[in-house]
Amino acid sequence: MSDRQRVESLVREADTYRSQGFLVAAKKKYMELLQLIQGHEKYSKNKKLINAVEGKIRSIEKEMSDVTKAEAKPQLSNETQDLIQKLFSFSKNREHATMEGAVALAKFGQYQKALTEFMRLMSEGILPLEAAKNILRCHLSLSPPEVALNQYKNWVSRDDFPPNDLKYLRRFLKNLLDKRGVKVEIPEIVERAGKAKRKKKAEEEVLDISSVGVPLNWGPLKGETVEFEVSFQSGNTISIIVPSDKTQLLDAFRPGVKLPDMQCYSLIAVFNGTGVVSGKSQITSGPKKGDYTLDITISGD
Amino acid sequence: MAIFNAKDRVIECKLVYYGPGRGGKTSNLEYIYKAGKKYAMSDMVSINTKGDRTLFFDFLPIGLGKIRGCDVKVQLYTVPGQQKYSSTRKLVLKYVDGIVFVADSLEIRRKANVLSLKDLQQNLAAQGEDVFKIPLVMQFNKRDLGDKDIPIMPVDLMTRDLNSKLNAPVFEASALKGTGVAETLKKCLVITLQNLQKELKWTE
Repeated sequence: MSDRQRVESLVREADTYRSQGFLVAAKKKYMELLQLIQGHEKYSKNKKLINAVEGKIRSIEKEMSDVTKAEAKPQLSNETQDLIQKLFSFSKNREHATMEGAVALAKFGQYQKALTEFMRLMSEGILPLEAAKNILRCHLSLSPPEVALNQYKNWVSRDDFPPNDLKYLRRFLKNLLDKRGVKVEIPEIVERAGKAKRKKKAEEEVLDISSVGVPLNWGPLKGETVEFEVSFQSGNTISIIVPSDKTQLLDAFRPGVKLPDMQCYSLIAVFNGTGVVSGKSQITSGPKKGDYTLDITISGD
Repeated sequence: MAIFNAKDRVIECKLVYYGPGRGGKTSNLEYIYKAGKKYAMSDMVSINTKGDRTLFFDFLPIGLGKIRGCDVKVQLYTVPGQQKYSSTRKLVLKYVDGIVFVADSLEIRRKANVLSLKDLQQNLAAQGEDVFKIPLVMQFNKRDLGDKDIPIMPVDLMTRDLNSKLNAPVFEASALKGTGVAETLKKCLVITLQNLQKELKWTE
Protein backbone atom coordinates (compact mmCIF):
# COMPACT_ATOMS: atom_id res chain seq x y z
CA MET A 1 0.00 0.00 0.00
CA SER A 2 1.44 3.37 -1.00
CA ASP A 3 1.66 6.21 1.52
CA ARG A 4 -1.13 8.00 -0.27
CA GLN A 5 -3.35 4.91 -0.11
CA ARG A 6 -2.50 4.52 3.57
CA VAL A 7 -3.56 8.13 4.23
CA GLU A 8 -6.78 7.67 2.28
CA SER A 9 -7.54 4.46 4.12
CA LEU A 10 -7.04 6.08 7.53
CA VAL A 11 -9.25 9.04 6.58
CA ARG A 12 -11.95 6.68 5.35
CA GLU A 13 -11.88 4.61 8.51
CA ALA A 14 -11.80 7.62 10.82
CA ASP A 15 -14.67 9.32 8.99
CA THR A 16 -16.76 6.15 9.03
CA TYR A 17 -16.22 5.52 12.73
CA ARG A 18 -17.12 9.12 13.43
CA SER A 19 -20.32 8.95 11.39
CA GLN A 20 -21.20 5.72 13.21
CA GLY A 21 -20.70 7.39 16.58
CA PHE A 22 -17.55 5.48 17.56
CA LEU A 23 -15.74 8.61 18.59
CA VAL A 24 -12.86 6.98 20.49
CA ALA A 25 -12.02 4.76 17.54
CA ALA A 26 -12.35 7.70 15.16
CA LYS A 27 -10.00 9.84 17.25
CA LYS A 28 -7.49 6.99 17.39
CA LYS A 29 -7.47 6.76 13.58
CA TYR A 30 -7.08 10.55 13.17
CA MET A 31 -4.18 10.48 15.65
CA GLU A 32 -2.59 7.65 13.67
CA LEU A 33 -3.07 9.72 10.54
CA LEU A 34 -1.53 12.80 12.13
CA GLN A 35 1.48 10.80 13.25
CA LEU A 36 1.92 9.38 9.76
CA ILE A 37 1.69 12.81 8.13
CA GLN A 38 4.00 14.52 10.59
CA GLY A 39 6.67 11.88 10.10
CA HIS A 40 6.35 11.85 6.32
CA GLU A 41 8.95 13.61 4.22
CA LYS A 42 6.46 15.12 1.77
CA TYR A 43 3.21 15.44 3.76
CA SER A 44 4.91 16.99 6.79
CA LYS A 45 5.45 20.16 4.76
CA ASN A 46 1.75 20.42 3.97
CA LYS A 47 0.58 22.67 6.82
CA LYS A 48 -2.95 22.83 5.41
CA LEU A 49 -3.28 19.05 5.65
CA ILE A 50 -1.87 18.94 9.18
CA ASN A 51 -4.21 21.74 10.28
CA ALA A 52 -7.19 19.92 8.78
CA VAL A 53 -6.44 16.71 10.67
CA GLU A 54 -5.78 18.60 13.91
CA GLY A 55 -9.09 20.39 13.39
CA LYS A 56 -10.87 17.04 13.02
CA ILE A 57 -9.31 15.80 16.26
CA ARG A 58 -10.38 18.95 18.13
CA SER A 59 -13.89 18.69 16.80
CA ILE A 60 -14.13 15.00 17.82
CA GLU A 61 -12.90 15.88 21.29
CA LYS A 62 -15.66 18.49 21.54
CA GLU A 63 -18.21 15.93 20.37
CA MET A 64 -16.95 13.47 23.00
CA SER A 65 -17.24 16.11 25.68
CA ASP A 66 -20.81 17.00 24.55
CA VAL A 67 -21.80 13.33 24.71
CA THR A 68 -20.34 13.00 28.21
CA LYS A 69 -22.13 16.13 29.38
CA ALA A 70 -25.48 15.17 27.84
CA GLU A 71 -28.18 14.67 30.41
CA ALA A 72 -28.37 10.99 31.28
CA LYS A 73 -32.10 11.00 31.87
CA PRO A 74 -33.75 14.04 30.29
CA GLN A 75 -37.31 15.16 30.98
CA LEU A 76 -39.68 13.59 28.46
CA SER A 77 -42.94 14.92 27.05
CA ASN A 78 -46.22 14.08 28.79
CA GLU A 79 -47.19 11.81 25.90
CA THR A 80 -43.97 9.80 26.18
CA GLN A 81 -44.32 9.56 29.95
CA ASP A 82 -47.88 8.26 29.51
CA LEU A 83 -46.62 5.75 26.95
CA ILE A 84 -43.93 4.50 29.33
CA GLN A 85 -46.53 4.00 32.04
CA LYS A 86 -48.75 2.10 29.64
CA LEU A 87 -46.05 -0.07 28.07
CA PHE A 88 -44.39 -1.11 31.31
CA SER A 89 -47.48 -2.01 33.33
CA PHE A 90 -47.57 -5.75 32.96
CA SER A 91 -49.74 -7.11 35.76
CA LYS A 92 -53.35 -8.04 35.28
CA ASN A 93 -54.02 -6.78 38.79
CA ARG A 94 -54.88 -3.10 38.32
CA GLU A 95 -53.16 -1.94 41.50
CA HIS A 96 -49.94 -3.77 40.74
CA ALA A 97 -50.03 -2.53 37.15
CA THR A 98 -50.39 1.08 38.33
CA MET A 99 -47.41 0.58 40.63
CA GLU A 100 -45.34 -0.97 37.81
CA GLY A 101 -46.10 2.00 35.56
CA ALA A 102 -44.97 4.44 38.23
CA VAL A 103 -41.81 2.42 38.94
CA ALA A 104 -41.02 2.44 35.21
CA LEU A 105 -41.31 6.23 35.17
CA ALA A 106 -38.78 6.42 37.99
CA LYS A 107 -36.45 3.94 36.27
CA PHE A 108 -36.53 6.12 33.17
CA GLY A 109 -35.63 9.13 35.29
CA GLN A 110 -39.05 10.81 35.17
CA TYR A 111 -38.89 11.37 38.92
CA GLN A 112 -41.30 14.31 39.19
CA LYS A 113 -44.17 12.53 37.47
CA ALA A 114 -43.28 9.28 39.27
CA LEU A 115 -43.36 11.11 42.60
CA THR A 116 -46.84 12.47 41.85
CA GLU A 117 -47.98 8.96 40.95
CA PHE A 118 -46.52 7.36 44.09
CA MET A 119 -48.10 10.08 46.26
CA ARG A 120 -51.46 9.39 44.61
CA LEU A 121 -51.08 5.63 45.08
CA MET A 122 -50.25 6.12 48.73
CA SER A 123 -53.17 8.45 49.32
CA GLU A 124 -55.47 5.85 47.74
CA GLY A 125 -54.00 3.13 49.96
CA ILE A 126 -52.59 1.19 46.98
CA LEU A 127 -49.45 -0.75 48.04
CA PRO A 128 -48.56 2.08 50.46
CA LEU A 129 -45.24 0.65 51.68
CA GLU A 130 -43.95 0.14 48.15
CA ALA A 131 -45.19 3.63 47.23
CA ALA A 132 -43.43 5.10 50.28
CA LYS A 133 -40.11 3.47 49.36
CA ASN A 134 -40.32 4.90 45.89
CA ILE A 135 -41.32 8.32 47.20
CA LEU A 136 -38.08 8.35 49.20
CA ARG A 137 -36.11 7.28 46.12
CA CYS A 138 -37.68 10.03 44.01
CA HIS A 139 -37.05 12.69 46.66
CA LEU A 140 -33.40 11.70 46.82
CA SER A 141 -33.09 11.93 43.05
CA LEU A 142 -34.83 15.30 42.85
CA SER A 143 -33.82 17.17 46.00
CA PRO A 144 -31.30 17.40 48.83
CA PRO A 145 -31.45 14.50 51.35
CA GLU A 146 -33.29 16.64 53.92
CA VAL A 147 -36.44 16.46 51.80
CA ALA A 148 -36.53 12.65 51.99
CA LEU A 149 -35.73 12.82 55.68
CA ASN A 150 -38.55 15.29 56.33
CA GLN A 151 -40.92 13.11 54.37
CA TYR A 152 -40.04 10.18 56.61
CA LYS A 153 -40.45 12.31 59.75
CA ASN A 154 -43.90 13.36 58.50
CA TRP A 155 -44.96 9.74 58.16
CA VAL A 156 -43.71 9.06 61.67
CA SER A 157 -45.50 12.05 63.19
CA ARG A 158 -48.75 11.40 61.32
CA ASP A 159 -48.87 7.71 62.24
CA ASP A 160 -49.27 6.89 58.55
CA PHE A 161 -47.72 3.44 58.94
CA PRO A 162 -47.60 0.76 61.63
CA PRO A 163 -44.32 0.76 63.64
CA ASN A 164 -42.92 -2.26 61.80
CA ASP A 165 -43.37 -0.58 58.44
CA LEU A 166 -41.80 2.62 59.76
CA LYS A 167 -38.82 0.62 61.01
CA TYR A 168 -38.55 -0.95 57.57
CA LEU A 169 -38.74 2.47 55.88
CA ARG A 170 -36.12 3.80 58.27
CA ARG A 171 -33.73 0.99 57.32
CA PHE A 172 -34.53 1.54 53.67
CA LEU A 173 -33.85 5.29 53.88
CA LYS A 174 -30.68 4.72 55.85
CA ASN A 175 -29.40 2.34 53.15
CA LEU A 176 -30.14 4.86 50.42
CA LEU A 177 -28.40 7.64 52.34
CA ASP A 178 -25.41 5.42 53.20
CA LYS A 179 -24.99 4.57 49.50
CA ARG A 180 -24.84 8.30 48.77
CA GLY A 181 -22.40 8.83 51.61
CA VAL A 182 -24.87 11.03 53.50
CA LYS A 183 -24.58 10.85 57.28
CA VAL A 184 -27.70 12.12 59.06
CA GLU A 185 -29.61 11.11 62.15
CA ILE A 186 -32.84 9.31 61.32
CA PRO A 187 -35.24 9.15 64.28
CA GLU A 188 -35.66 5.65 65.74
CA ILE A 189 -39.16 4.23 66.01
CA VAL A 190 -40.33 3.72 69.57
CA GLU A 191 -43.33 1.44 69.73
CA ARG A 192 -46.16 2.45 72.00
CA ALA A 193 -47.99 -0.23 73.98
CA GLY A 194 -51.34 0.52 72.32
CA LYS A 195 -49.98 -0.42 68.96
CA ALA A 196 -48.84 -3.90 69.82
CA LYS A 197 -52.22 -5.40 68.94
CA ARG A 198 -52.27 -3.79 65.52
CA LYS A 199 -48.74 -5.04 64.88
CA LYS A 200 -49.69 -8.61 65.74
CA LYS A 201 -52.67 -8.46 63.41
CA ALA A 202 -50.54 -7.09 60.58
CA GLU A 203 -48.03 -9.85 61.07
CA GLU A 204 -50.71 -12.47 60.88
CA GLU A 205 -51.79 -11.27 57.46
CA VAL A 206 -50.26 -13.32 54.67
CA LEU A 207 -48.42 -11.25 52.10
CA ASP A 208 -48.53 -11.99 48.39
CA ILE A 209 -45.15 -13.57 47.76
CA SER A 210 -43.77 -13.08 44.26
CA SER A 211 -40.57 -15.09 44.57
CA VAL A 212 -38.47 -17.00 47.10
CA GLY A 213 -34.79 -17.68 47.58
CA VAL A 214 -33.84 -20.99 49.19
CA PRO A 215 -30.29 -21.68 50.40
CA LEU A 216 -29.54 -25.36 49.92
CA ASN A 217 -27.75 -26.91 52.87
CA TRP A 218 -27.91 -30.45 51.60
CA GLY A 219 -27.38 -32.64 48.56
CA PRO A 220 -25.21 -32.07 45.48
CA LEU A 221 -26.24 -28.39 45.23
CA LYS A 222 -25.17 -27.67 48.81
CA GLY A 223 -23.99 -24.09 49.25
CA GLU A 224 -26.07 -22.69 46.37
CA THR A 225 -29.12 -20.49 46.75
CA VAL A 226 -31.88 -21.10 44.26
CA GLU A 227 -34.57 -18.58 43.39
CA PHE A 228 -38.08 -19.45 42.27
CA GLU A 229 -40.90 -17.34 40.89
CA VAL A 230 -44.15 -18.10 42.69
CA SER A 231 -46.73 -19.29 40.21
CA PHE A 232 -49.64 -19.60 42.64
CA GLN A 233 -50.35 -18.84 46.28
CA SER A 234 -53.10 -19.99 48.57
CA GLY A 235 -52.78 -18.61 52.10
CA ASN A 236 -49.31 -19.44 53.34
CA THR A 237 -48.74 -22.16 50.76
CA ILE A 238 -46.97 -21.20 47.57
CA SER A 239 -46.53 -23.21 44.40
CA ILE A 240 -43.46 -23.06 42.23
CA ILE A 241 -42.66 -24.76 38.95
CA VAL A 242 -39.44 -26.70 38.49
CA PRO A 243 -38.54 -27.84 34.94
CA SER A 244 -38.29 -31.60 34.55
CA ASP A 245 -34.64 -31.41 33.46
CA LYS A 246 -33.58 -29.91 36.81
CA THR A 247 -33.24 -33.33 38.33
CA GLN A 248 -30.86 -32.33 41.12
CA LEU A 249 -33.29 -29.63 42.24
CA LEU A 250 -36.23 -32.00 42.07
CA ASP A 251 -34.33 -34.52 44.20
CA ALA A 252 -33.46 -31.84 46.72
CA PHE A 253 -37.09 -30.76 47.19
CA ARG A 254 -38.75 -33.92 48.37
CA PRO A 255 -42.03 -33.59 50.32
CA GLY A 256 -41.32 -33.18 54.02
CA VAL A 257 -37.98 -31.42 53.51
CA LYS A 258 -37.65 -28.45 55.83
CA LEU A 259 -36.42 -25.17 54.38
CA PRO A 260 -34.97 -22.87 57.01
CA ASP A 261 -33.70 -19.36 56.13
CA MET A 262 -35.93 -18.84 53.12
CA GLN A 263 -36.01 -15.34 51.70
CA CYS A 264 -39.52 -14.35 50.68
CA TYR A 265 -39.99 -11.43 48.31
CA SER A 266 -43.29 -9.62 48.06
CA LEU A 267 -44.05 -6.30 46.41
CA ILE A 268 -44.11 -4.58 49.76
CA ALA A 269 -41.49 -6.39 51.81
CA VAL A 270 -38.70 -8.91 51.92
CA PHE A 271 -38.83 -11.26 54.90
CA ASN A 272 -37.23 -14.42 56.16
CA GLY A 273 -39.31 -17.48 56.63
CA THR A 274 -39.10 -21.16 57.25
CA GLY A 275 -40.91 -23.57 55.01
CA VAL A 276 -41.62 -27.18 54.42
CA VAL A 277 -42.15 -28.91 51.08
CA SER A 278 -45.78 -29.93 51.40
CA GLY A 279 -46.41 -31.37 47.95
CA LYS A 280 -44.84 -32.31 44.66
CA SER A 281 -46.66 -33.29 41.49
CA GLN A 282 -45.97 -33.54 37.80
CA ILE A 283 -47.89 -31.28 35.41
CA THR A 284 -49.81 -33.41 32.95
CA SER A 285 -51.08 -30.87 30.41
CA GLY A 286 -50.46 -27.42 28.94
CA PRO A 287 -47.21 -25.71 27.94
CA LYS A 288 -45.45 -26.82 31.15
CA LYS A 289 -46.41 -30.47 30.71
CA GLY A 290 -43.79 -32.75 32.28
CA ASP A 291 -42.48 -30.09 34.66
CA TYR A 292 -43.14 -30.32 38.39
CA THR A 293 -45.17 -28.23 40.80
CA LEU A 294 -43.75 -27.94 44.28
CA ASP A 295 -45.91 -26.71 47.15
CA ILE A 296 -44.12 -25.02 50.02
CA THR A 297 -45.88 -24.03 53.19
CA ILE A 298 -44.27 -20.99 54.75
CA SER A 299 -44.26 -19.58 58.23
CA GLY A 300 -42.75 -16.13 58.88
CA ASP A 301 -39.96 -15.76 61.43
CA MET B 1 -45.68 -12.01 27.37
CA ALA B 2 -47.96 -12.59 24.46
CA ILE B 3 -51.60 -11.85 25.08
CA PHE B 4 -54.17 -13.98 23.36
CA ASN B 5 -57.73 -12.75 23.42
CA ALA B 6 -59.64 -15.86 22.42
CA LYS B 7 -62.99 -14.05 22.26
CA ASP B 8 -61.92 -11.36 19.80
CA ARG B 9 -59.27 -13.62 18.18
CA VAL B 10 -56.45 -11.14 18.75
CA ILE B 11 -52.89 -12.05 19.62
CA GLU B 12 -50.34 -9.48 20.74
CA CYS B 13 -46.66 -10.28 21.03
CA LYS B 14 -43.41 -8.49 21.72
CA LEU B 15 -40.16 -8.59 19.74
CA VAL B 16 -37.02 -6.91 21.02
CA TYR B 17 -34.03 -5.83 18.93
CA TYR B 18 -30.98 -6.40 21.12
CA GLY B 19 -27.29 -5.81 20.48
CA PRO B 20 -24.29 -3.57 21.13
CA GLY B 21 -24.57 0.20 21.02
CA ARG B 22 -24.57 1.84 17.57
CA GLY B 23 -25.01 -1.54 15.93
CA GLY B 24 -28.11 -0.58 13.93
CA LYS B 25 -31.09 -1.63 16.07
CA THR B 26 -32.83 1.71 15.66
CA SER B 27 -31.97 1.76 11.94
CA ASN B 28 -33.79 -1.57 11.59
CA LEU B 29 -36.93 -0.15 13.17
CA GLU B 30 -36.69 3.08 11.19
CA TYR B 31 -36.50 1.14 7.97
CA ILE B 32 -39.43 -1.06 8.96
CA TYR B 33 -41.43 2.05 9.84
CA LYS B 34 -40.63 3.80 6.54
CA ALA B 35 -40.93 0.79 4.27
CA GLY B 36 -43.93 -0.78 5.95
CA LYS B 37 -45.97 2.27 6.89
CA LYS B 38 -49.21 0.50 6.10
CA TYR B 39 -48.47 -1.98 8.90
CA ALA B 40 -47.57 0.65 11.49
CA MET B 41 -50.30 1.11 14.06
CA SER B 42 -48.89 4.42 15.29
CA ASP B 43 -45.80 6.58 14.86
CA MET B 44 -42.47 5.15 15.90
CA VAL B 45 -41.36 6.48 19.27
CA SER B 46 -37.63 7.07 19.76
CA ILE B 47 -36.00 8.53 22.82
CA ASN B 48 -32.48 9.55 21.90
CA THR B 49 -29.69 11.40 23.59
CA LYS B 50 -26.81 13.48 22.26
CA GLY B 51 -25.27 11.76 19.25
CA ASP B 52 -28.52 9.97 18.38
CA ARG B 53 -27.85 7.15 20.79
CA THR B 54 -30.94 5.34 22.00
CA LEU B 55 -31.49 6.49 25.53
CA PHE B 56 -34.38 4.35 26.74
CA PHE B 57 -35.94 2.41 23.91
CA ASP B 58 -37.56 2.68 20.48
CA PHE B 59 -41.10 1.47 20.09
CA LEU B 60 -43.07 0.61 16.98
CA PRO B 61 -46.39 -1.24 17.09
CA ILE B 62 -47.33 -3.00 13.86
CA GLY B 63 -50.37 -4.96 12.77
CA LEU B 64 -49.90 -7.97 10.53
CA GLY B 65 -53.58 -8.46 9.82
CA LYS B 66 -55.25 -11.86 10.01
CA ILE B 67 -53.11 -14.97 10.29
CA ARG B 68 -55.05 -18.21 10.55
CA GLY B 69 -58.13 -16.31 11.65
CA CYS B 70 -56.34 -14.30 14.28
CA ASP B 71 -55.57 -10.60 14.26
CA VAL B 72 -51.82 -10.45 14.96
CA LYS B 73 -50.37 -7.34 16.57
CA VAL B 74 -46.66 -7.02 17.25
CA GLN B 75 -44.81 -4.55 19.43
CA LEU B 76 -41.26 -3.94 18.23
CA TYR B 77 -38.78 -2.54 20.70
CA THR B 78 -35.09 -1.74 20.72
CA VAL B 79 -32.99 -1.57 23.85
CA PRO B 80 -30.27 1.01 24.51
CA GLY B 81 -27.02 -0.74 23.60
CA GLN B 82 -24.67 1.22 25.81
CA GLN B 83 -23.45 -0.88 28.73
CA LYS B 84 -24.48 1.69 31.35
CA TYR B 85 -28.20 1.30 30.56
CA SER B 86 -28.45 -2.21 31.95
CA SER B 87 -31.56 -1.63 34.07
CA THR B 88 -33.40 -0.16 31.08
CA ARG B 89 -32.53 -3.18 28.97
CA LYS B 90 -33.89 -5.48 31.67
CA LEU B 91 -37.15 -3.55 31.80
CA VAL B 92 -37.61 -3.52 28.02
CA LEU B 93 -36.80 -7.23 27.82
CA LYS B 94 -39.54 -8.17 30.29
CA TYR B 95 -42.06 -10.61 28.83
CA VAL B 96 -40.33 -10.69 25.44
CA ASP B 97 -41.58 -13.28 22.95
CA GLY B 98 -38.86 -13.09 20.31
CA ILE B 99 -35.46 -11.49 19.84
CA VAL B 100 -33.45 -10.10 16.95
CA PHE B 101 -29.81 -9.86 17.94
CA VAL B 102 -28.23 -7.15 15.79
CA ALA B 103 -24.48 -7.75 15.71
CA ASP B 104 -22.13 -5.11 14.33
CA SER B 105 -19.86 -6.37 11.55
CA LEU B 106 -17.19 -3.74 12.18
CA GLU B 107 -13.95 -5.36 13.34
CA ILE B 108 -13.63 -2.82 16.15
CA ARG B 109 -16.97 -4.05 17.59
CA ARG B 110 -16.04 -7.72 17.96
CA LYS B 111 -15.77 -7.61 21.73
CA ALA B 112 -18.89 -5.43 22.08
CA ASN B 113 -20.93 -8.04 20.19
CA VAL B 114 -19.83 -10.84 22.49
CA LEU B 115 -20.44 -8.80 25.63
CA SER B 116 -23.89 -7.80 24.46
CA LEU B 117 -24.87 -11.40 23.72
CA LYS B 118 -23.67 -12.40 27.18
CA ASP B 119 -25.67 -9.54 28.66
CA LEU B 120 -28.75 -10.77 26.80
CA GLN B 121 -28.24 -14.29 28.13
CA GLN B 122 -27.91 -13.03 31.70
CA ASN B 123 -30.89 -10.70 31.49
CA LEU B 124 -33.06 -13.45 30.04
CA ALA B 125 -31.94 -15.87 32.74
CA ALA B 126 -32.85 -13.30 35.41
CA GLN B 127 -36.43 -13.44 34.19
CA GLY B 128 -36.50 -17.21 33.89
CA GLU B 129 -35.94 -17.37 30.12
CA ASP B 130 -33.29 -19.34 28.28
CA VAL B 131 -31.41 -17.79 25.37
CA PHE B 132 -31.22 -21.25 23.80
CA LYS B 133 -34.99 -21.73 23.94
CA ILE B 134 -36.43 -18.30 23.16
CA PRO B 135 -37.12 -17.55 19.47
CA LEU B 136 -34.01 -15.68 18.32
CA VAL B 137 -32.70 -14.48 15.00
CA MET B 138 -29.18 -13.21 14.45
CA GLN B 139 -28.49 -10.29 12.13
CA PHE B 140 -24.95 -9.39 11.01
CA ASN B 141 -25.41 -5.74 10.20
CA LYS B 142 -23.32 -3.18 8.28
CA ARG B 143 -22.09 -5.71 5.70
CA ASP B 144 -22.03 -2.87 3.13
CA LEU B 145 -19.11 -1.20 4.91
CA GLY B 146 -16.84 -3.90 3.53
CA ASP B 147 -17.43 -2.47 0.06
CA LYS B 148 -15.97 0.82 1.30
CA ASP B 149 -12.80 -0.93 2.47
CA ILE B 150 -13.71 -0.48 6.11
CA PRO B 151 -12.47 -3.49 8.12
CA ILE B 152 -15.39 -5.79 8.83
CA MET B 153 -15.37 -9.31 10.21
CA PRO B 154 -15.91 -12.31 7.94
CA VAL B 155 -19.27 -14.02 8.47
CA ASP B 156 -17.45 -17.22 9.57
CA LEU B 157 -15.73 -15.39 12.39
CA MET B 158 -18.96 -13.73 13.56
CA THR B 159 -20.72 -17.08 13.43
CA ARG B 160 -17.97 -18.66 15.50
CA ASP B 161 -18.07 -15.82 18.03
CA LEU B 162 -21.81 -15.51 18.37
CA ASN B 163 -23.74 -18.34 16.86
CA SER B 164 -21.75 -21.57 17.15
CA LYS B 165 -23.79 -22.74 20.11
CA LEU B 166 -27.03 -20.87 19.50
CA ASN B 167 -27.44 -22.00 15.89
CA ALA B 168 -29.96 -19.25 15.31
CA PRO B 169 -31.04 -18.27 11.80
CA VAL B 170 -28.56 -15.66 10.49
CA PHE B 171 -29.16 -12.77 8.11
CA GLU B 172 -26.59 -10.43 6.63
CA ALA B 173 -27.90 -6.91 6.52
CA SER B 174 -27.30 -3.24 5.89
CA ALA B 175 -30.05 -1.70 7.95
CA LEU B 176 -29.44 1.84 6.74
CA LYS B 177 -30.11 0.71 3.18
CA GLY B 178 -32.77 -1.75 4.22
CA THR B 179 -30.95 -4.85 2.94
CA GLY B 180 -31.88 -7.89 5.01
CA VAL B 181 -34.14 -5.97 7.38
CA ALA B 182 -37.44 -7.40 6.20
CA GLU B 183 -36.03 -10.92 5.96
CA THR B 184 -34.74 -10.74 9.54
CA LEU B 185 -38.05 -9.49 10.88
CA LYS B 186 -40.05 -12.01 8.87
CA LYS B 187 -38.02 -14.95 10.17
CA CYS B 188 -38.24 -13.72 13.74
CA LEU B 189 -42.01 -13.30 13.43
CA VAL B 190 -42.41 -16.78 11.94
CA ILE B 191 -40.46 -18.59 14.66
CA THR B 192 -42.03 -16.47 17.41
CA LEU B 193 -45.55 -17.16 16.22
CA GLN B 194 -44.74 -20.86 15.83
CA ASN B 195 -43.52 -20.89 19.38
CA LEU B 196 -46.60 -19.06 20.62
CA GLN B 197 -48.78 -21.49 18.73
CA LYS B 198 -47.23 -24.31 20.77
CA GLU B 199 -47.80 -22.38 23.98
CA LEU B 200 -51.16 -20.77 23.41
CA LYS B 201 -52.68 -22.97 20.68
CA TRP B 202 -54.14 -19.81 19.19
CA THR B 203 -54.96 -21.26 15.80
CA GLU B 204 -57.04 -24.12 17.17
